[in-house]
Amino acid sequence: MHLVSVMQRGVWAVLLWPNLLTSSIPLDCREEQGGLSRCPSISQEKLLDRVIQHAELIYRVSEESCSLYEEMFIPLPLQMQRNQAGFSCITKTLPIPSSRNEIQQISDKWLLHSVLMLVQSWIEPLVYLQTSLDRYDAVPDMLLNKTKWVSEKLISLEQGVVVLIRKMLDEGTLTIDHSDQGLFQYDVQPEMLESVMRDYTILSCFKKDAHKMEAFLKLLKCRQTDKYNCS
Amino acid sequence: MMRKIIEVILLSSLLFFAVHARGKPHSPPGKPALTSCRSPEKETFTCWWEPGSDGGLHTTYALYYRKETSEKVYECPDYRTAGDNSCFFNKNHTAIWVLYNITVVATNAKGQAFSDPWEIDVVNIVKPHPPEKVTVTVLEDKRWPFLRVSWEPPHKADTRSGWITLIYELRVRLEEENDWEMHVAGQQKMFNIFSPQSGGKYLVEVRCKPDHGFWSEWSSTSYSKVPEYFHRETSAWILITVFSTFTFLILTWLLHMNRHNLKHCILPPVPGPKIKGFDKQLLKNGKSNEIVSALLVPDFPPTASSNYEDLLVECLEVYVPKERQVVLEESKDLHDGGIKSENSTSDSDSGRGSCDSRTLLMDKCDEAKEEEEEERQTDLESGRMQSQVQRRLKDWEEEALTYAHGDSISPDMSSGRVKTWPSVFSPLPQYSSSPLDQQSSLEMSKQHSLSTSSYLTGPGHGAREALGQNYFFLSSKQPHLLNPHTPVARELQVHSDVDISRVGLKQAPAGLRSPAPRTTEYVEVQRVNHEDMVLLQPVVSGCGRTEGRSQMPQGEVYSKVKSVDSENILLLQREGMEEDWCPSVDQETNEETGNCYASYTVSATQKPSACIYTAMPIQDETALTVNGYVDTATMCTLNTC
Repeated sequence: MHLVSVMQRGVWAVLLWPNLLTSSIPLDCREEQGGLSRCPSISQEKLLDRVIQHAELIYRVSEESCSLYEEMFIPLPLQMQRNQAGFSCITKTLPIPSSRNEIQQISDKWLLHSVLMLVQSWIEPLVYLQTSLDRYDAVPDMLLNKTKWVSEKLISLEQGVVVLIRKMLDEGTLTIDHSDQGLFQYDVQPEMLESVMRDYTILSCFKKDAHKMEAFLKLLKCRQTDKYNCS
Repeated sequence: MMRKIIEVILLSSLLFFAVHARGKPHSPPGKPALTSCRSPEKETFTCWWEPGSDGGLHTTYALYYRKETSEKVYECPDYRTAGDNSCFFNKNHTAIWVLYNITVVATNAKGQAFSDPWEIDVVNIVKPHPPEKVTVTVLEDKRWPFLRVSWEPPHKADTRSGWITLIYELRVRLEEENDWEMHVAGQQKMFNIFSPQSGGKYLVEVRCKPDHGFWSEWSSTSYSKVPEYFHRETSAWILITVFSTFTFLILTWLLHMNRHNLKHCILPPVPGPKIKGFDKQLLKNGKSNEIVSALLVPDFPPTASSNYEDLLVECLEVYVPKERQVVLEESKDLHDGGIKSENSTSDSDSGRGSCDSRTLLMDKCDEAKEEEEEERQTDLESGRMQSQVQRRLKDWEEEALTYAHGDSISPDMSSGRVKTWPSVFSPLPQYSSSPLDQQSSLEMSKQHSLSTSSYLTGPGHGAREALGQNYFFLSSKQPHLLNPHTPVARELQVHSDVDISRVGLKQAPAGLRSPAPRTTEYVEVQRVNHEDMVLLQPVVSGCGRTEGRSQMPQGEVYSKVKSVDSENILLLQREGMEEDWCPSVDQETNEETGNCYASYTVSATQKPSACIYTAMPIQDETALTVNGYVDTATMCTLNTC
């Protein structure tokens, strides 16, 4: 009986051997979206792919949220005339390339940095958007869930881009700096209509910027694989 | 004068018409309107407008735009590339994710007209060109051909770098049909159409759309011809048909082979009437006398010459080897199958001094082991019943009452025993209100039913079993008691000079049973002898078969009538008392019974011994209880034991 039990334990040990190996790998390799450089498990291409997937998803969800919000709260005449409400996009002051030509001309480094800038500047406004939407009466749960999901995913996207920058550009660790509050001013308890228009502006601008991020990242990927045909 | 007026009129009309003939008068141009702006690949875009009225003068149109980020106003860089009334923005002038504010201005000599401004973002107005190089090929897959449609994205759309993501859609139809069949292909550039119609000619078209934009136009049609082949579905149908045909044939054949059995199963033969002695031929002959005579049973109804003893069910005798038990005589007309039950009945008849009671000595039990088993079971049963006495009483009463009107024949039929007799004499005053009475009566009835439990084991009146065989049986006995027209009662009436019938009848109009302290004794008919005399035996009832329960508070004593002498005196045989009775009994009853027990030889265990009473004349009605029981207690007072 003793021999049998010893053998059983031995079999279990043999079966669980790979687990022992994997558990010795530092955990923060899995925690971050991209993984640290000392984590051997993910390559740059895969990391970039994942970042692009994130950006695609974020764009799709933000698009859905924007159209939902539009249907519910914005009367038809105002839908085309966004600017006339007086709100402009927060990120318009950022030095981000906006034409195809420009984009084709800037370097990889600038592409990545633009993405990072965009991501970082949107984290705070989305949080504000959440609190603002909670104040509404008739907001559907789906919209709240979507915006919540987006703000969460944005943070992980930021982490991934940071890692990517470190990997691709061999730059040092960038401190995630959220101190740049100048872009966004909070208004305490705005009037209802104003609040609605402001939130609509936030959503539509974010949708645009999400699309930008996705496009930049895809262009970056194209350049990685085939530099000359990416026009 | 008249001519001058006419000339003026003519001139003015001429002028008027001349003015009209020349055309519209000079006026500022009408308001132009932008119709659409489209970008084919998200790198350039074009806007078209609709001019308003030109006001009769040469009108020029100019498009001005302003970007979201600055206030500077630009003019359209290219008016020609895209045709008339259009403005083409090339790559250098196209900014993505930026809002353009576009206005068209119409100018002529007289003035200007401004269109409504449009705000557009190039990202939202993408309408790609249709997909290119749509090819349809027929591929073979194990003799089942299918169509493969493949295409290329429009050459200007940069899907490789991911600048635009396109999703495709195709539509297919047969040449002779009118309706298109739509398929969504997603982002892939290839699509398979399976199971095409054999020998059909297909038309295929493809279009595409960016993730947030407009559908392109349908591509040019591609044609394809499918070769002839055997369709998979057809072969499957053929297989199914053949298989089901075979199955059907087999089933039909089986049915045919078994048609006789089926006929019996579905249409069972109706049994013809079968009456013993009934002859269909007689009926056909039409002689009713013969038919009726054939139907008559020769022995029914029984004539006077028949022997009573044949009809009567005999008492059972219990042989108790030790003197504690009372020995009952065994009647000669003992029926089969009753030996065991006989013993059991006699045990019960012997007054609960039997093996059921655990307080009794075991030696008695040794002899009648088998009967004891049965009795014990019935005893336990009765004990259980006892516990539910109060609850069941009502049901029982009702049942008894209903049963009284019911079939009274059944106990007779049950085993042909005579235990109906005791029921006639057993007191059935159980419906009195006093619980004490009820208890005692239940006790008595239980004992009686126990004495006749053999009956129940035979036929088994299952419907009332819930109440316990004892009760049921007793209830079944009631008709005999209550209904004077039962055969048994009739027998009593007809064949006996003894006022037993009167006994039976008397109890009906009589009131309830006497109150508790009065003791009554129960008699059991042993047999009716040739002189038409009822031979009674006193039935001594115990306090209950279960141990320790004090029943019979009234101390009713059952006696057995041993014989009736020539002077119509009942000779009662008293059975001994059990100890479980005695303690709870009233003083009076004790005394009464004590009188009766005077002649007993009391043993240490107080086992009953035989006691012979002199019988009272039966005709003495005062000695009779309401229910027709012979009150041996009263008799005892009159006579010495």
